[in-house]
Amino acid sequence: MTFTDLLLQQTINGLSLGAMYALLALGFTLVYGILELINFSHFNVFMIGSFVAMWTLQMFGLSGQDVILTGLPLAGVLLVAFAVTMLFCGGLGVVVERITLRPLRNVKGPAAMITSIGVSYILFNIVLLTVGADSKNFPNPLPTIRWHLGEATLDFRVVLIWIIALLLMLGLYYFVQRSRLGKAMRATAQDQEAARMMGVEVDKVIMMAFFLGSALAGAGGLIFGLYYNFTSFIIGFTAGLRAFTAAVLGGIGNVPGAMVGGVLIGLIEAMSGQFIATAWTDVIIFSILVLVLVFKPSGLFGRVAPTKS
Amino acid sequence: MFTRRAAAQLFATTALAAGLGAARLSPAFAAAKVVKIGVDLSLTGADAQSAIRVKNAITMAFDAANQANAVPGYQFDLLMLDDGTATAGQYDPAQAATNARRMVADKEVVAALGPEMSGAGKAMTPILSQGNLATITMSSTNPDITNPKFAAQFRPAGKAIYFRTVTTDAYQGPNMANFYAEKLKVKSVYILDDSGAFGVGVADTFQAEAEKKGLKVIGRDRLDPKAADYTAILTKIKSLNPDSIYYGGVSQAGVKLAKQSYDIMPKMIRGGPDGTYGADFLTGGGFPAVEGWYSTIAAPHLTEDNKAAQFVAAYKGQFGMVPDDYCITAYDAALVLIDAVKRIAASGKPVTREAVQAALLTSKVPTIQGVVSFDANGDLADRTVSVFQITKDTTKPLDDPSAQYKYLEVAPQS
Repeated sequence: MTFTDLLLQQTINGLSLGAMYALLALGFTLVYGILELINFSHFNVFMIGSFVAMWTLQMFGLSGQDVILTGLPLAGVLLVAFAVTMLFCGGLGVVVERITLRPLRNVKGPAAMITSIGVSYILFNIVLLTVGADSKNFPNPLPTIRWHLGEATLDFRVVLIWIIALLLMLGLYYFVQRSRLGKAMRATAQDQEAARMMGVEVDKVIMMAFFLGSALAGAGGLIFGLYYNFTSFIIGFTAGLRAFTAAVLGGIGNVPGAMVGGVLIGLIEAMSGQFIATAWTDVIIFSILVLVLVFKPSGLFGRVAPTKS
Repeated sequence: MFTRRAAAQLFATTALAAGLGAARLSPAFAAAKVVKIGVDLSLTGADAQSAIRVKNAITMAFDAANQANAVPGYQFDLLMLDDGTATAGQYDPAQAATNARRMVADKEVVAALGPEMSGAGKAMTPILSQGNLATITMSSTNPDITNPKFAAQFRPAGKAIYFRTVTTDAYQGPNMANFYAEKLKVKSVYILDDSGAFGVGVADTFQAEAEKKGLKVIGRDRLDPKAADYTAILTKIKSLNPDSIYYGGVSQAGVKLAKQSYDIMPKMIRGGPDGTYGADFLTGGGFPAVEGWYSTIAAPHLTEDNKAAQFVAAYKGQFGMVPDDYCITAYDAALVLIDAVKRIAASGKPVTREAVQAALLTSKVPTIQGVVSFDANGDLADRTVSVFQITKDTTKPLDDPSAQYKYLEVAPQS
């Protein structure tokens, strides 16, 4: 394998990882932008998303990698799986917000953040105790189509993941920038008090932020399953922490920042595995987190947080 | 008066009796002295399926002994502990140490079984040694634990307390390296481990022997078992184009490695130690990703053997699942322990921790795997390492290790 092919292959690997991190990072950023809250329950909403996706696919009679679908059936199954997973996770996010975080909304200090860590562990243990601890074989109905670019290979699966992630992110971006509710979200992010005075229903906006963020985490969970063909109760923490780093790197609260941050972290992970050693990947990624926090706390694209009135 | 405490005790005893089966309740044994055995297994996490199979084998052995009154005047009671934690997602050395302390603190516990994992064993042995409590492991194979060179660390009180009914990675790693070189005829290998005590150890011994055999070690890397993505390292390996991969470790990283390596290099020769042998690896990795994977176990292969047939049938009947080879080594460990207690009881001495440790050292117990005896450090006298290859058999359940792992041969000794 020539060096350029190798570089190309690792870029493909990194972009796939990055797409997943970006989807997850958006959830952190949406909530932080409005509430200035780091929502750690997001980690395990993602994990539950991958399980919901697995069960949905299994309901179509798909198990393991034996059944391959193409054309319309594939598109239909994927559409249903994404819809179910995203709605479920979005709903879960809203429920988590309503039950555990809204009562703490006006409590100063880290109470809400610590509660979200607690919720994260509760979700984690519910899955552990109900579905068990072993790695599950995630159904994968995607046909193995491979394109060869020199000695590097590009899988159909990878391209599909990029396209889906890109569509979701563009959709979110336009929603936030163009729609009425998106405008209300941005208004609330800028100044909650003033937005409320202008007639914005802040509770609804916050619910929407949780719904959208969690739905994207759900989509991330499904993509994770399709990409790796496995899921387990433990996947939330590593992916979640890296996505969080991505959100901080891009500038937490900043939507395009989270997308770019996610892709960058994915690429860094792939390249450090190639050129340094996989054992050092975490050290490198979290060193970046520390460096960003020390030297550019607002991240690459500038942090967005509510102004206190 | 029916106090709260009495109620609690009553509840505890009934619950215990209900949990351990009706045999305990029968009045004939009511006066029997209780011999308590601590059991430490990895019942939570990535290796849970294998652990449950092992647990069944152990309860089966002691239930049978109690029912048959194998040691007259004594009844066995199990203190079942779990060293797996949710946060680790697999065995957790800190939890194993806590369990060891619990066993040592419980005065009634005179011996122990387990752990399954060397990482847990390394954490437990200093505590067990100080508490003078001997244990027999059914599957942990890291050689350091019983090596006199590391006695200060693993048996500070001096006596051998870590016995095994399997051989060690001093043989499992090197014998597999011999198999790679002599039978698979590969010329080069890339070595990975899962950063655990067992994984690193077995990969080290494999590497040392591979180099001695003239195999070219193209590289060595460490996987984070909690990370999901190994495509970066696997792409790097693909670019270096080795003939084969050896993975030292257990199933948590192993299943992901199997899947992703199959995607990236479907034809690569891949193999690993007993951490890649079992139901967890089959179901987590799944076909076709695990197809062709070579695994070893640090014991002779017995489930197809005549001696084992009776055990397999009884086990299937009782638990509705097929035992793997480590159920047999666990069952054998229980037999060895029962035999030790029997000899002490027959000599009329009290069954104490000291007595059990001494009795284990002189064991010569006929078991399913043959006569088990130990050297002065507690290692098994027999040093067989068996090699298997995963070969899909669609006529049998795909999560059944005895059907999907095809026995090849005994790995060549150095």
